[in-house]
Amino acid sequence: MSGTVINANVVDAIALPRIVWLRPNLIGLAFNLMKLLPARFIVRKALEEGELAPGGLIAETTSGTFGLALAMVARLRGHPLTLVSDPAIDPPLQRRLEDLGATVHIVREPGPTGGFQQARLAILEQVLADNPGSFCPRQYSNPNNPASYAPCAEQLAHAAGAVDCLIGSVGSGGSMCGISSYLRLLCPELTAIGVDTHRSVLFGQSDAGGGRTLRGLGNSLMPPNVDHTAFDLVHWVGAAEAFHATRMLHREHALFMGPTSGAAYLVADWWARENPDQLGAVIFPDEGYRYQDTVYDDAWLAAKGLRLEALPRGPVEWDRPHDGDDPWSFHRWGRRTFAEATGTRGGALELVA
Amino acid sequence: MQAAAQILDLGGPSERERAAPDTALFPSAAAPFRTGHGEVRAHHGEIVQGIFPSGDGGVEHALVTLPCPLFRARARFRPLRSGPLTVEPVDRARARAAARLTLDALGRAGWGGSLRIESNIPLQWGCGSSTADVLSTVRAVADAFGTVLEPEWLARICVAAETASDSLMFAPGRAVLFAQRRGSLLLDLGGPLPPVRVLGVNTEGDRGVATLSLPPIPYSTWEIEAFRPMLGLLRRAVERQDPALLGRVATASTVITQRHRPKKSMPQLLRLAEEVGALGVQVAHSGTVAGLLFETGAGAAGRVERAREALRGLGLRESCDFSTDLQPEAVS
Repeated sequence: MSGTVINANVVDAIALPRIVWLRPNLIGLAFNLMKLLPARFIVRKALEEGELAPGGLIAETTSGTFGLALAMVARLRGHPLTLVSDPAIDPPLQRRLEDLGATVHIVREPGPTGGFQQARLAILEQVLADNPGSFCPRQYSNPNNPASYAPCAEQLAHAAGAVDCLIGSVGSGGSMCGISSYLRLLCPELTAIGVDTHRSVLFGQSDAGGGRTLRGLGNSLMPPNVDHTAFDLVHWVGAAEAFHATRMLHREHALFMGPTSGAAYLVADWWARENPDQLGAVIFPDEGYRYQDTVYDDAWLAAKGLRLEALPRGPVEWDRPHDGDDPWSFHRWGRRTFAEATGTRGGALELVA
Repeated sequence: MQAAAQILDLGGPSERERAAPDTALFPSAAAPFRTGHGEVRAHHGEIVQGIFPSGDGGVEHALVTLPCPLFRARARFRPLRSGPLTVEPVDRARARAAARLTLDALGRAGWGGSLRIESNIPLQWGCGSSTADVLSTVRAVADAFGTVLEPEWLARICVAAETASDSLMFAPGRAVLFAQRRGSLLLDLGGPLPPVRVLGVNTEGDRGVATLSLPPIPYSTWEIEAFRPMLGLLRRAVERQDPALLGRVATASTVITQRHRPKKSMPQLLRLAEEVGALGVQVAHSGTVAGLLFETGAGAAGRVERAREALRGLGLRESCDFSTDLQPEAVS
């Protein structure tokens, strides 16, 4: 948190978000790098509980911001780090990870099922088996991922009191399930709105038919850390709307955030207009720098056919989760389990913990 | 039990004492002394009790108590230059030990005297009766030598005499997060708790529990972390003087404690609070009392009445009814 203290390191200094008003009834939680919270907490608890020796190897599969956060934490705490990624990793990120001392292992071939993610998991298991005493944070199944968000809930409760609604994108389930679990201890009536994207299995779509253009939320595998019973509503947002909303967030509020923030903002702004008498908070997980040549480039958007002139006024309501590319849709999930809400046993594949 | 010398080491004289030396600090002088008096008001359990970051990267067991002006302890101490140290009632051994520690800390090793304690604080309800005995004693002994000790000193002597202590040494006008096992202040909340009306219930009839013998609760990681947002909302409640937020914090702490130290009527009490529109439910986390919280003033009178009837319906006996902003004169 900003203030008069000198922080022990930059992770402590920037782990918590800036809190800003977006509307009279909507607060934005703007993180530099939200995954610093789980990275810091998971490593600290692993050291405390003896799962990770001082100076021991940390290994994880990631091509995104969790890897960057882990690399920062590992560097500052003096742990070697191996990250297993796929060719989608962007070169500037890879250079930054390597500058922080991480070994980045790129998997070249997708697995027969579960795509690159399953292939990366296989390599990760090999790295862990080859290095006795190494530790894998397992952000998708480690309960210390959602538990790590208590300081964010503390900050929000102190700054805003009791909020009525929390809106955020869902990828590992950590931030939304963690923050909402803590806020509900204080405000059991809190509405939690999860933001997913089409062809993500998290809330009942299948990942068949090509990859997802909107990255950083959604998943092809079902993370155990997604507690479906946390969610009152689920939205599916497409790439074009999310990118447009990302730009609006920048143009209207000077908040330079990534497209997962845009997806959450799209839903939050709609919710705030629909519920003028309630107070909402929306999570913006990372900054826009990684997307300057894509989301923030009109020519790139036009070339990809992702340039919208205007946003739809609101989402289409689905009476049940189903496949489909409706631009922007939502379902009243009603805090049900996955099986209750979809009538099926589980997602495409259970992520192996 | 800590030695008195250690207490001196830990504390040191206050700024005021350094600036204007009190004769009490110099036992060789022909120091005046008199009959000393000390008084302490009780609490009605806690708003929150759990584990909190201690600032040095570690964590501490700590609590925020709910002041209760209905109950109090008074101590009277008559010093003697030599001879035995006697206490009435005779079973108040901790108070006697505290008197000895205080005499030593004030440089009166070897002095004796007679200590008398009067208290209407119910024993073992979790209202701080033990700390109140000890604290009123320490104040009375200090008063006998014309000294007023700082809260931080008082806390250390109380912990030395009791092993754990409540935060009664801090005036009700100053809400603090207090590490009861160390006797140290973790956080000054910067003001009083927002005022609330408390409808008290003893969940064990009129019995109590021996609070000092209870082992620490083995909180889960999620639960330990959950005390952070509780503290965040509590700070907001104090800053805005918002009783509704205070009620939410109290209920959250009650719910967590109920998982580990279940009070048998608590599920009904929590439901009742919701039904009658109470702000929340607080408990003595190491005791037997619980309280339904309401706004102060006439606005909540109807809800309090409905709660009272509902309690009778559940076969629970109301043990007290007070507002935390009640002036002390009104209850004497």
